[in-house]
Amino acid sequence: MLQKKICMLGGFSVGKTSLVRRFVQSIFSETYLTTVGVKIDKKSVVLPDKTVDLILWDLAGEDDIGSFRVSYVRGATGLVLVVDGTRAATLAAALTLRERVEAEFGAMPFVLLFNKSDLVDKWVIPDSEIDDLRQRGWQVYLTSALTGEHVDDAFLQLATMVTK
Amino acid sequence: MVEIARNVDPDYRARFEAVPTADPRMETLRQLLVGREISELSRVTELLDEPAQLATAVGGVLPSAAAQAPHAQLGEALAPAVERAVQRSIQKSPRTLTDILYPVFLPAIRKSIGEKIDQTFQSLNETLRHIFTWHGLKWRVEAWRTGASFSEVVLKHSLVYRVEHVFLINRNSGLLIAHVTADNATSEDPQLISSMLSAIQDFVKDSFNEKEQSGLDTIRFGELRLWSEVGPLATLVAVIRGNPPEELHEIFRDVLLRIHDESSEVLEQFDGDTSQLFGIEARLQTCVELKQEDTNQGFPWLVLALVLLLLVPVGAWFFFSWQSGQRWQTYVSRLEAQPGIIVAEQKIRGGQFYVAGLRDPLAVDPQALLSGTEVDPARVHAQWQSYESLEPQFVLKRLTASLAPPDTVRLSVVKDRIVAEGEATDTWIEKARAAARQLSAGGPVFDVSGVRDVSPEARAAERWQAYVSRLETQPGIIVAEQKIRDGQFYVAGLRDPLAADPQSLLSGTEVDPARVHAQWQSYQSLEPRFVLKRLAASLAPPDTVRLSVVDDRIVAEGEATDTWIDNARAAARQLSAGGPVFDVSGVRDVSPEAREAERWQAYVSRLGRQPGIVVAEQRIRDGQFYIAGLRDPLGVDPQSLLLGTRLDPARVHAQWQFYQSLEPEFVLKRLTASLAPPDTVRLTIVKDRIVAEGEATATWINRARAAAQQLAADGVAMDVSQLQELNLAELNQLKAAIQGTDIFFYSGKALPGPEQTPVLDRLAEQLKEFAQGARKSGVTARFMLTGHSDATGRETANVSISAARAEAVRALLNKRGVAPELLLVRGAGTFEPVVPENSRTGSSTNRRVSVTVNLE
Ligand SMILES: Nc1nc2c(ncn2[C@@H]2O[C@H](COP(=O)(O)OP(=O)(O)OP(=O)(O)O)[C@@H](O)[C@H]2O)c(=O)[nH]1
Ligand SMILES: [Mg+2]
Repeated sequence: MLQKKICMLGGFSVGKTSLVRRFVQSIFSETYLTTVGVKIDKKSVVLPDKTVDLILWDLAGEDDIGSFRVSYVRGATGLVLVVDGTRAATLAAALTLRERVEAEFGAMPFVLLFNKSDLVDKWVIPDSEIDDLRQRGWQVYLTSALTGEHVDDAFLQLATMVTK
Repeated sequence: MVEIARNVDPDYRARFEAVPTADPRMETLRQLLVGREISELSRVTELLDEPAQLATAVGGVLPSAAAQAPHAQLGEALAPAVERAVQRSIQKSPRTLTDILYPVFLPAIRKSIGEKIDQTFQSLNETLRHIFTWHGLKWRVEAWRTGASFSEVVLKHSLVYRVEHVFLINRNSGLLIAHVTADNATSEDPQLISSMLSAIQDFVKDSFNEKEQSGLDTIRFGELRLWSEVGPLATLVAVIRGNPPEELHEIFRDVLLRIHDESSEVLEQFDGDTSQLFGIEARLQTCVELKQEDTNQGFPWLVLALVLLLLVPVGAWFFFSWQSGQRWQTYVSRLEAQPGIIVAEQKIRGGQFYVAGLRDPLAVDPQALLSGTEVDPARVHAQWQSYESLEPQFVLKRLTASLAPPDTVRLSVVKDRIVAEGEATDTWIEKARAAARQLSAGGPVFDVSGVRDVSPEARAAERWQAYVSRLETQPGIIVAEQKIRDGQFYVAGLRDPLAADPQSLLSGTEVDPARVHAQWQSYQSLEPRFVLKRLAASLAPPDTVRLSVVDDRIVAEGEATDTWIDNARAAARQLSAGGPVFDVSGVRDVSPEAREAERWQAYVSRLGRQPGIVVAEQRIRDGQFYIAGLRDPLGVDPQSLLLGTRLDPARVHAQWQFYQSLEPEFVLKRLTASLAPPDTVRLTIVKDRIVAEGEATATWINRARAAAQQLAADGVAMDVSQLQELNLAELNQLKAAIQGTDIFFYSGKALPGPEQTPVLDRLAEQLKEFAQGARKSGVTARFMLTGHSDATGRETANVSISAARAEAVRALLNKRGVAPELLLVRGAGTFEPVVPENSRTGSSTNRRVSVTVNLE
């Protein structure tokens, strides 16, 4: 049995919980119930050479870095950074959270998800910005918890990264 | 009669069997005479021969026979039999008797268990059910053997629990290392449970500021308990159904310790891969095998009821005498533990208690010990013989009484020896030594060697010695000789007149000055500090010279006139050969005029360096200082720079003409005063040019441009090209959008419905953008959230719900990142309806929170 702890990080209401539900249970719901504290889920991912159990820690979104409980991330081997593509400010929030975590526990593999890609007309992130981030060698995905687009790809990529 | 006799006594029967009964006539005659009696007799014989029938018959009359018998006699007659029966019964089956005594023991036991029960979760009924079973008796034996209280043993055995799961969790990541389950116990995904448990631990730790090592060690969900033991690398969590005993913690701790011992390396490197972990599961398996089953034995009610009827009085007597015997024994053992009391003999007879022995009169009163033991003092007969105990503490008491040691002596017992320590006069010490010799052979040693002889003379001599040695350490005093004779103290020696006065050193020493005879010869000490004092007295150095001792040399530093320096050099040469060196080279030759001129020049050059001050002319004449020049009023005041220069202000004559300096920093100050730039504009000096940057209103920018043109004429460059016009139009548009937003509510609700979420999201973004924009232009934006209600219901309720709505929106906006201090709330009730109430959409449109923007 191989298990890895993964943390979902990102601003308030960016869709962390929705992404986990889509990935683990393949369902989506419009209703928004904010996460309090932490919610834990598990999903086994089958890779070509092995199977890994991802233990997904879905943390409460915080736009205010001050109240972020960094201790929940202890022992994690990977991060899913989630940005709401319809709110530019959530990108900064996700990056700050990552910096905070790296300062505490050192660098670790992560994937960066621009979520809600189905909301095309409200989309505010320019393609150039995404290209920039990819240039840094980051794994960036445009996902939608609603349609399921690229959700599995992103988690699979992270699973490969953390088992290397 | 013969038949009866036969039946009663078998021997008799045998003898009669031998007698021939052959004569038929006798038989006939017998039939005629006593035929009826014979048949009656044979019926009775039959009855007596058949035990079953006899029992029935006797049973029929026994109760009334017993009732009619005189009570005392019946009791007397039955007592031995009953006692034997009880004895037999205990030997044969102790359980029966325990069962019988149930109601008698009940109150006493209930009390003792009650106390324990508070410490555990076991129920009283559960416990009592077990007491009168076969286990009950075994447990009593165990209690007696181990010295634990009976109720403790009962609880230990009747705790019913089962360890269903054991998790071993990585402390760092909360990942599951291993998990074992008891047979047929079910659970959710252990990996998930493991992570959740560690999240809960984190949460508790964070929330209550727990220390690192400790954590949540017990959680309870109804029947289930989660016990966790935290180790440095892994946490062991056990899921237990029922009521586990405290020792289980020990077992878990032990298992965790072993796992850490055996697998520390693997645990340390654990990265979620469990394929490397051998042996850990086997260790955990030992934990899940732990359980205590509920043996559901029936209770022998029937037997109990029967025997109960017969034996209640016996039981009561048995119990009470057992109980008082028990109490007596505690009392006796308490007596035996007392020092100074020796119990020689003790017994209980006829409900009375007897004790005899020896007792030291200084020991505690045995009578006093009785209180609290519940032994009836009237039934205690004690006989004590007085003796003198040789136990050290008693000897100590007696010694204290007879020797009456002074306050300065402390008597104590040290390892069975009596030790006296402190100070005493020689007479007391003598007495103590005599007492020590007298102490009888078997007694403790009395050690007086720790007492110092402090007779008054000795004390005075001691003080004198202290005084003399203090004198000897004084610099400039040399003690040549000292002695004590006939209570008088003599001291002689050399003394530098500058040294401390030996007489004054006497104060506080308690040496009587009248008895001190001192003879001091004056001499000049060559110790540097004395030489220093003498030099200071003879040379009278000015304030500017400092004399000090450095490494046995006397050093003079500072400034002095040349005459003084010459004097000092002469003194240095005169200093006798063996004395310290006097070094005058550190004194600069400074005549007052030269010094003042130097200071003046320093002041003038400092003025010359000041921006906004131009010195045109300066000179010194007849001890007066003159200076003239230009100064900008925004520059420093030359007068204030005089402070600390040691120049006499009265002798400084200055003449300053005001002018406007064109040095950029003065221009900048003047500009700031005249243009009053908004917070969004920054004025700086970059390479002698004044640069204005930032955003401002068009009017202000125009004023700045005009100023720049004027300055250019004076030859000062000012760059206004980097000023940008404020984008107020955008803000105004945003303001309109914000004020046009309403949050709606369902009737009677203080929280907006879920369909309002996108509205709130958008509003929050707009408020943040507006606040930021306003801050850029140097103003603060505040947003008034006004709650409204429809007209249904009472007005007071409407006002409060309207305020609650405004509060709710404030909280929701806050959650979306709008700073709370920017949000003001008020409730308007029904007073500011947006549409008339009676219109079709009236009430639903009026239940809202509206926003207004205020700029400060
Ligand atoms: N259209 C669309 N809506 C989404 C998507 N993902 C999430 N949402 C919606 O966004 C809202 C917030 O989603 P959540 O998953 O609860 O967000 P979260 O990041 O877990 O929020 P917190 O736990 O409060 O930090 C919900 O109303 C979701 O229905 C998406 O991909 N597309
Ligand atoms: Mg959530």
